[in-house]
Amino acid sequence: MKRMPIFLSVVLVIVLAACGAPSTPAPTTPAGVTPPPAGVTTITVWDYYGTATPFQPEMIAAFEQENPNIKVKYESLDWDAMFEKLSVSMTTGTPPDVATVDMTWVPTWASLGAFADLGPLSGGQVNGVPLNEAFSEGAVEAMTFEGQTVVMLEDFDVYCLYYRADVFEEKGLEVPTTWQQLVEVGQQLVEDTDGNGVPDRYLYGIFPDAFRWAQFLYENDATMLNEDNTQAVFNSPEGVEATQFIVDIVNEYHIAFDIGEEEAITPIKDGRMAMFSDGPYMMGVIKDGAPEMEGMWKVAPHPYSKQPSSYLGGTGLAIPVRAANKEAAWKFVEFAMRVDNAIGVYTGSGAAPGLKAALESPEVSAADPYFGGQVTMPLFLQATETAHHFPYVRQWNEMYDIIDDMMGSALLEQKTVQQALDDAVTEINALLEE
Amino acid sequence: MTLTWTDIGRSHEHCRGKRMETSIARRIGVFVRKYYWAYLFILGPVISTTVFLFIPMVSSFAFSLTEWSGLQPPQFVGLANYKKLLFDDPKFVKSFVNTTIFVILGQGSGPIFGLISALALNQKVRFRAGFRTAYFLPVMTSLVVVATVWKMLYNENGLINGLLRTVDLPTTRWLNNPATALVSVIVTSVWQGFGFETVIFLAALQAIPQELYEAAMIDGANAWNRFWHVTLPSLRPVIVMIYIIGIIGTYQVFDQIYVMTDGGPVNASRTIVFHLWDNFHYMKFGYASAVAYVLFAVLALFSYLQMKFLGRED
Repeated sequence: MKRMPIFLSVVLVIVLAACGAPSTPAPTTPAGVTPPPAGVTTITVWDYYGTATPFQPEMIAAFEQENPNIKVKYESLDWDAMFEKLSVSMTTGTPPDVATVDMTWVPTWASLGAFADLGPLSGGQVNGVPLNEAFSEGAVEAMTFEGQTVVMLEDFDVYCLYYRADVFEEKGLEVPTTWQQLVEVGQQLVEDTDGNGVPDRYLYGIFPDAFRWAQFLYENDATMLNEDNTQAVFNSPEGVEATQFIVDIVNEYHIAFDIGEEEAITPIKDGRMAMFSDGPYMMGVIKDGAPEMEGMWKVAPHPYSKQPSSYLGGTGLAIPVRAANKEAAWKFVEFAMRVDNAIGVYTGSGAAPGLKAALESPEVSAADPYFGGQVTMPLFLQATETAHHFPYVRQWNEMYDIIDDMMGSALLEQKTVQQALDDAVTEINALLEE
Repeated sequence: MTLTWTDIGRSHEHCRGKRMETSIARRIGVFVRKYYWAYLFILGPVISTTVFLFIPMVSSFAFSLTEWSGLQPPQFVGLANYKKLLFDDPKFVKSFVNTTIFVILGQGSGPIFGLISALALNQKVRFRAGFRTAYFLPVMTSLVVVATVWKMLYNENGLINGLLRTVDLPTTRWLNNPATALVSVIVTSVWQGFGFETVIFLAALQAIPQELYEAAMIDGANAWNRFWHVTLPSLRPVIVMIYIIGIIGTYQVFDQIYVMTDGGPVNASRTIVFHLWDNFHYMKFGYASAVAYVLFAVLALFSYLQMKFLGRED
């Protein structure tokens, strides 16, 4: 009986501990680390660039030295995990202060008011330069949602043609500049090594996703949605023609193949793929994954039918609207947008800096020995002038999956192209009405 | 004072009541003194299960009755999510069918391979411990690693197609072909998981009394008769357990789908949990919660039916 009060006390303590959790997590300091002195703000930065990040320890140290009242808590996440983790953190009210976000995520989050308006924080400029001078017109458009600047473009993604220059030279072929030439060159390029009548080497690789499909759509002067983004219109004759072309180069002309879920580096290395469409970051991927192919690959503007075009994406730096330290976070974003730090986007990860001054710098515009001494960045910069970002609608993530399914069913010939497009348009229109 | 019979009766009742109260109180006191440490030890798991399982389950049900993006206040919509899910979501129907096929083929083959290998390992064979380890190694390996390796094996120029070409058999793009994508993932899952059933069955086989087999042999039973009339009935509780756990687990398949096919091509390998995850990706937390509850209902029904029909003799 004497132990009863002790027992009840222990029970009471445990129950109170379980129920009495604070509404906001108390700041913790790792053992052995001196906590920042009073008056110092700690900002949390989430980054999916990985080890090739432009936010290297030296860059962060330089920022902290310049801003002694701001400490940076840097966390590296996988691209895959970033979306889920950021969603959960914004939902629970504990987001980071700065996060790298894929530009394709911007429509969904910006439409839900998840990002802070950087207009008041920036005063319409970055490091003293007006935004419309610091970034290209397409970039400024991509950074803006309903009149608000919701991200700063850290790197941009726009597509050009990667091709096996050594094989082209060996076969005496010119780089195609139109869809018709793509077919003609492709037919002379491909080889059937196993004799089954279907070419299996030096093909054009098709990624059956919205990114590549959008490129062909825009090149044929078609659009996804109408002007006010209330209806899907890509089943127009131009849209059908563009989609049919993709299906034909795979199934009729046999100059292309559907990469599916494979990693692109595999058919690059085993020779199945000699042409494909991709962004600047792919240069770093090829260099890392296929160093033995140095000098074999080059970049050129992508062939088009009616007008050159591409999808425009990339990585943005966003400050969540529920971030605790927006002013300090903006200082970090602005520091990342200094020319010398923005150049780190290219020197670190191989991606194309969003900042014009960094893109035009000697370091980024230098000849690339891997690509046969070619100066590649101006080609990607040129492509941004005619590129379009994806529609900024709340339902973009679902639309993307519907388009993926549409491409898949057309390529697998489960449906005719017209039927696949019509079904996708019907599904997306129902979505847009929600 | 003269005591009446009524007074005595009342006094007797009063004392008896008091004795009863004392007796119950004493019994409770004895019980608590005897077992309070036990309750103290289980208090932690009970609290954590309540906080991290039961409360989220109840919250999830509440969210399933709302339209909620996570960033704006939830809007109550009643059973609209369930109605759409069951009657107006072809992708969910496809996911359900795919997952059921996965369960039928996966659970139809995995435990059988497990039993066959357990029967083989139950013989007096050399290096039995090594074989047991080899069968269990895939079970201990991360499912993501297994899926990644098998994805390479299934590659157009991977080992499987390479072997098929050497014997002049037709090849295909296993994970990019709607006809073969789901089955390819099922093969991977069965390969990875049947070692678990092997170990469970092996332990159960070794617990079967030898006298049963000796008695059967005396009665003239051959190997098949002994297996059918002695081994299988003795393994019944284990088989029920394996199928209940297996079906519950297989209905929640996700990792290998995510790594190997991303639910494609064209939803050919899309599963229920993948559909749930997709809706979280669309910031439709209410709808995703409804998917979770429909899955819960399906699993609860399966478990009940299995316990009722397969476990009734136990």
